[in-house]
Amino acid sequence: MAEGIFSKFKEYSVAEFFKKNRQMLGFSGKVRSLTTIVHEYVTNSLDACGEAGVFPEIEVWVDEEGEGKCRVKVRDNGPGIPKSHVGKALGVMLAGTKFNRYVQQRGQQGIGATGCTMYALVTTGKPIKVLSTHAGTRLECEVGIDFRNNKPLVNVLSEAPGEGSGLEIGGSFGEVKHEKSAYGVYEYLRRTAIANPHATIIFNSGPERFVFPKSVEGLPPKPAEVKPHPLGISAHDLIEKARGAPYQKVSAFLQEEFVRVSLNKVKELQEAVPEVDLGKKPAALTWEDAERLVAGFGKVKWIAPATDSVVPIGTGQVEKSLNSIIGPEFMYVTQRSPKIYRGGIPFVVEAALAYNGKGANGEILRFANRAPLLFDAGGCSITQTIKDVDWKRYGVKSLEEEPLSIFVHFASVHVPYTSAGKQSISDEEEVVDEIRNAVMEAARSLQRHLSGKRRDKELKGKRSAVLRYVEQLSKDMSELGGGKAADGEEVKGRLLKMVEERYGHGKDEGQAEEGAGGREEGEAPPGDGEGGEEE
Amino acid sequence: MSDKAALEKLEKLGKSMLQQVKAGVSPTFETPLRSKGNVEYEEGLGYLRLGAKKEERTFLNVGQARTFMQTVAVANKTKKFVKEDLHTSIRGLYYQLKFSLGEDVDESLFEEQSESNVLIEDLEVALGVKREDLHLTTDRKGVVAGEMRVRDNFAGEETVIDCAKQGRSGWMIPSDVDNGMEFVDVEADYVLVVEKDALWQRLNEDRFWKKENCILVTPKGQASRGTRRLLRKLADKRLPVYVMTDCDAWGWYIYWTIKTGSMNLAYLGRDFSIPESRFLGVTMADIEKYAFLKKLTINAKPVDLKRAEEMLGYPWISKHKEWALELKKVLKMKKKLEQDALQGERLTFVGEYVREKIEKKQWLP
Repeated sequence: MAEGIFSKFKEYSVAEFFKKNRQMLGFSGKVRSLTTIVHEYVTNSLDACGEAGVFPEIEVWVDEEGEGKCRVKVRDNGPGIPKSHVGKALGVMLAGTKFNRYVQQRGQQGIGATGCTMYALVTTGKPIKVLSTHAGTRLECEVGIDFRNNKPLVNVLSEAPGEGSGLEIGGSFGEVKHEKSAYGVYEYLRRTAIANPHATIIFNSGPERFVFPKSVEGLPPKPAEVKPHPLGISAHDLIEKARGAPYQKVSAFLQEEFVRVSLNKVKELQEAVPEVDLGKKPAALTWEDAERLVAGFGKVKWIAPATDSVVPIGTGQVEKSLNSIIGPEFMYVTQRSPKIYRGGIPFVVEAALAYNGKGANGEILRFANRAPLLFDAGGCSITQTIKDVDWKRYGVKSLEEEPLSIFVHFASVHVPYTSAGKQSISDEEEVVDEIRNAVMEAARSLQRHLSGKRRDKELKGKRSAVLRYVEQLSKDMSELGGGKAADGEEVKGRLLKMVEERYGHGKDEGQAEEGAGGREEGEAPPGDGEGGEEE
Repeated sequence: MSDKAALEKLEKLGKSMLQQVKAGVSPTFETPLRSKGNVEYEEGLGYLRLGAKKEERTFLNVGQARTFMQTVAVANKTKKFVKEDLHTSIRGLYYQLKFSLGEDVDESLFEEQSESNVLIEDLEVALGVKREDLHLTTDRKGVVAGEMRVRDNFAGEETVIDCAKQGRSGWMIPSDVDNGMEFVDVEADYVLVVEKDALWQRLNEDRFWKKENCILVTPKGQASRGTRRLLRKLADKRLPVYVMTDCDAWGWYIYWTIKTGSMNLAYLGRDFSIPESRFLGVTMADIEKYAFLKKLTINAKPVDLKRAEEMLGYPWISKHKEWALELKKVLKMKKKLEQDALQGERLTFVGEYVREKIEKKQWLP
């Protein structure tokens, strides 16, 4: 996609092109555009902090500036950006540091922050303001873009010695709308906080301030950088990778830069795509060649890659973060073992159910590599799979009306997005199966909780129904039998004891049954879900 | 039943419950089942009564806890009435027991009188006592005139009532004719029961009871408990009891309730039924016999026909050929005749009618 964008830079003005194609970058609709801007900055901040090995502390400001305009500012405690890279990072497309690496990350196109710069310029004509503290220097500058040449325009406002590090970036954006909806910035940040319990995220929405504090001690492991598997690469990535590769032949490039590619496999591949010359220089690969090669990869039987490149959030972490942000009465978190889709791409699905907390009724919290997916819910296989579950079987009458938050996280070095907007996951068979299994496992546990609760409530109801008559009955009974007032008290005591024996121990019964019926999967990590059961 | 006997029964119930509680079991009492499935008619007895089926009422059962507590409350309250020798109606009892179960409980011991009414019946059946024995009164209904005298011990005074000296109004039958009340003498050959007060007044004006030496009673429709008890006591004095009602299903139902008791009140049994009573009229056969009556019939209503069909279905009624015939005639002709129609030709005809029927033994069983 991005390839297409840049091949056309020379023919159109970038601004014009951007106006026509901005939906590809997530700038479609006023609400979504604002969320996209925040998403790009926050994602960069989280990644930068991850790289630097610090607990992210990210503060976001959104202030309305009149008709369809907002001022957005994001501040982090990451490493900042050196002066030499500011222009490249924020004013040139495809210049991100993460672009040429095959590693599990939130964004991989590298057009995000520059896209925001463009959006600001196109909608308000104003550049982006940057305040970066890096390696002892505090740099304040404005960044714009020379559209004609796809070059950054950096206007340094001040440069002085500074302590610590961090980045503050922001600007004025038009054609945006700030609202507290399922698609707005608040919801985006709330979900980002859920998937990133190691981060503190603060949101200043005008005069309102929301804090999502860090809920775990311990940084997530850095995802290992691994060579890609042939089945997990797109034509675009292939070209980018080939461009700087120091090999004489494509065949050598493939064997050296990819896992599971042997001489024999290269021969098989050549047979599958005779029209591509594997003897030519990698840099000479055309877009068409790349597309053919990717199609060819699919025809060859590969050994699956190792799965250790996938880093899930972790059940304990998810539990803590859901407890902190949703605070449910009951919760069940599960992590499936790594699986492979499309024959070669490893992935892990994590799912959680949080019942009766602060979440919206029946909300589906979708994540891919810790980034929340807010839009295109209808087309997402996570949403579809969850809606296809027969919830009534699990004691949930209507998903939309129950205080139930459903969390699904998809982690992989390659996320099968349905479109460039990166907001929904396509219905890969293996992925759908895993999501379904994970959600159903959690649902079974919820069912046990709900039926136990019902039983409990029933018993409690019975107990109180009988209990309220004890006083009157013992008085009448002892008088009727000819006793004294003192006897009435004794009768009352005995009756109360009987009622308690009959109806007072519902809890024990319920738990015994729950223990017997539970854990048939044998996969749930110890401690999962139990925390939420106490009342 | 004497007050002492009633008190003993109530206390026994309380004591057995207290023993159960002491033994650590849910307080429970047994009572004959009052549903229609447990109503029996026994040939030799001639009245409806409850069968052997029993049911258990227990406190530690969510479905029964409230009614159990209420029943004990009713028992205890009536025990007080008996002890203090005071009487009240079932409505009075209801008001005595209509109070909140506690400050924090949004519930009263009784919410509706209908709740306490059935529990009184429960208690009557379970203990084998009459509500009158528990000092609960019912509305008075029914009037009597004739050569009989009754001694009434009431409110600390003793009065002898002469039923032959009650003028135009007669003696209103009290709700309880057993406790504190006894016959001094009864000088009569038979008892005549007429369904309607109007007819009773007609016959009273004729001094019919004096001329015929009978006891003249009207239940004023369906017979009250007191009236049925009085009739039972008169029948026990070997007086034949003749009943006259309208010639329609409702009238006949009044007769059959007097004679055998009804399904709903089967628990009352022998004390409230007079199996030896006889039916004088008015009958469908009368219409054919007395020409002037033919013109005085009126159309039967659907409810009359439905009741006639029901009665045909009761074996203790349909076993009598005469009754089956009468009921079938009603269903066929779809007509009915009021007893008042007997006055159609001349006012004193009623007396002649009764005399002739009794003399010629033209009654139905």
